[in-house]
Amino acid sequence: MANPHTTPATATPPAAGHDTHGGHGVIGHVDSPGLLFVVFLVVIGLFAANVAMSTSGALGKYTLFAQLAIGAVQATFVGLYFMHLRHGDKVVVLTALASVFWMGILFVLFMSDYMTRNRVMG
Amino acid sequence: MTTAVTTAGPKIAPVPPEPPPAEPNYLNVSYSLWSWLTTVDHKRIGLLYLISISVFFVAGGVAAGVVRLNLLSPDGAFVNEDTYNRAFTGHGVLMLFFFLIPAVPGVLGNFLIPMMIGAKDLAFPKLNLASWYVFMVGAGFGVWALLAGGIDTGWTLYPPYSSRSSTSNVIPGVFGVFISGFSSIMTGLNIMVTVHKMRAPGMTWGRLPLFVWSLYATSLIQLLGTPVVAITTVLLMVERVAGIGIFDPMIGGDPVLFQHLFWFYSHPAVYIMILPGMGVISEVLTCFSRKNIFGYHAVAWSSMGIAVVGFLLWAHHMFVAGISFYSALLFSFLSMLVAVPSAIKVFNWTGTLYRGSITFQAPMLFGLGFVVLFVIGGLTGLFLATLGTDIHLHDTYFVVAHFHFVMVGGMVLGYMAGIHFWWPKMFGVMYSDWWSRVAAAIIIVGFFLTFVPQFVLGYHGMPRRYPNYPAEFQVYNVMSTAGASILGLGYLLPAFYLPLSLVFGKKAGANPWSATGLEWVSPSPPPLFNFDEANMPVVVCGPYEYALGVDQLGRGLPPGPGLGEANDPASKSEAPAAPGPMKKETEVVG
Repeated sequence: MANPHTTPATATPPAAGHDTHGGHGVIGHVDSPGLLFVVFLVVIGLFAANVAMSTSGALGKYTLFAQLAIGAVQATFVGLYFMHLRHGDKVVVLTALASVFWMGILFVLFMSDYMTRNRVMG
Repeated sequence: MTTAVTTAGPKIAPVPPEPPPAEPNYLNVSYSLWSWLTTVDHKRIGLLYLISISVFFVAGGVAAGVVRLNLLSPDGAFVNEDTYNRAFTGHGVLMLFFFLIPAVPGVLGNFLIPMMIGAKDLAFPKLNLASWYVFMVGAGFGVWALLAGGIDTGWTLYPPYSSRSSTSNVIPGVFGVFISGFSSIMTGLNIMVTVHKMRAPGMTWGRLPLFVWSLYATSLIQLLGTPVVAITTVLLMVERVAGIGIFDPMIGGDPVLFQHLFWFYSHPAVYIMILPGMGVISEVLTCFSRKNIFGYHAVAWSSMGIAVVGFLLWAHHMFVAGISFYSALLFSFLSMLVAVPSAIKVFNWTGTLYRGSITFQAPMLFGLGFVVLFVIGGLTGLFLATLGTDIHLHDTYFVVAHFHFVMVGGMVLGYMAGIHFWWPKMFGVMYSDWWSRVAAAIIIVGFFLTFVPQFVLGYHGMPRRYPNYPAEFQVYNVMSTAGASILGLGYLLPAFYLPLSLVFGKKAGANPWSATGLEWVSPSPPPLFNFDEANMPVVVCGPYEYALGVDQLGRGLPPGPGLGEANDPASKSEAPAAPGPMKKETEVVG
């Protein structure tokens, strides 16, 4: 059943090109499929690099940091392109950053255990 | 704005005439099964959740019955140890993931949030329906796991047992939890966007009902926490299926890592379960004490405080799991902090009740039961947050009792209060007042008899999840099982009188409790889009103006059942002022 409250009174025809707005105020199809495909290939390429790095051990003790850095770059690509944060308004970007901050809480309190586990009290 | 008012004020607004019954209403607009399975009406989806979770509640209750009956004898009364393990795991998984988490957001949140804020539906009606289907797919996997023999890991699914040793149906059970998590995210997202974007004119943040505030805070936890447990369950499945070492120390993993990730969600999940119940209680206590809420902003912000602080204290579940002393100290301190917003709520509820014109209909009995049991559950939580006492009490029946005081005494009673409070609105009929009061009394008495002995058992060292115990513990276990029987009887009563009310119940008016919220403006049951198309609500005041005797549209309140004019605060203009120091009875918010 249709819901008039969530159905826009006047439908705006999508403009050709970029930065079109749908009826719900959601930005749609802001990036071309070609660009998204390139980003997809980059993310998959970084994934392959990460797997290769974990098996080769070429970076020694720096492997973990390199892998985390690659993961961060992948997440950034996903956020900026697939989640359209590049075109998001301030509230959307702030929300995304808040979730990163939230993950920071997990990591910081989590590391409070791992980094002090071998210290002896007293 | 804060305005002092007294009980002796003029009747400031006339009582509006009873709105005519909605034709059609959301129940009779169509009758086919297809129309229900494809509905995008938030009220119908709420009822779909109601039916689903009721089934899981019964199934979880049966599993609890198996556990309690088996504990009648020190050596196990009638099932073997493996079956016992599967019974308590089934009880935990069903109750937590398929009843407690979706109960209030899925049923009452779906049904009431749009009505309370003056909207026609949730922001994403199709996503709302999708959330129910996703929930049912997840539940289907859970049922598969149970029918195939169950899971024996405990609901916490700790590896390496769950990933390496268990021969039970871990994968379908965990996959069901994983899938149902998406339903939780969808519901949280929908409620959050709806509250932000679809409030009626005049419905400012300071005029939102506290139920809405509590579900907003709940949605925040659902959005931020659920993805973590989703990924954790995926990692568990990967380890179990592919043998990749993540949590199992035999293959290079760390079992404490699982506990960190699991509790990062699962402790806040406790607040996913209890916060909506707190919202219900704020609505019920104000209505049945005919008082404005005491400290509106404090109660509203304490919900947000619980949501935020609740994320900072997960490792108090792991004090004896091998985490560092320093970290344990930090988490012990942080765990104490959550008592602050919780206590703010309880003190403000108590302040609301003070000098109220209290009546004891079933929702109020459940509500008062909630407050008492939640206080006990919360205070015993402080025992477990304290490092020293937790080492003594960890993994004993003390924890089981504490958890059930919060989850059953708190959340289930909150849910029951909500169902009884809004049942007339949902179905347009009144249930048996007498039987509902009897059910509330039986449930509360049965609850105490079930779980108080478990505090004693736990303090004396009986571990949780053990099928056998020393003979000196038998008397407490028999008491607990007897209490569970009474509790079960109490739960059975609503299963009869609520459905019977649909056939035999008296017709309910639009506002049978003389409550102030926007949801009571519409006829009962509500029309398809909640409000009269030509007369959408414009909010003029806060949500609990019982002192002034007006609803959120500024209209007078009808007398409630059994209350009459004598209990209508707006009609007390001729009554002499009550003795005592408290002249400023309440505040006007918004």
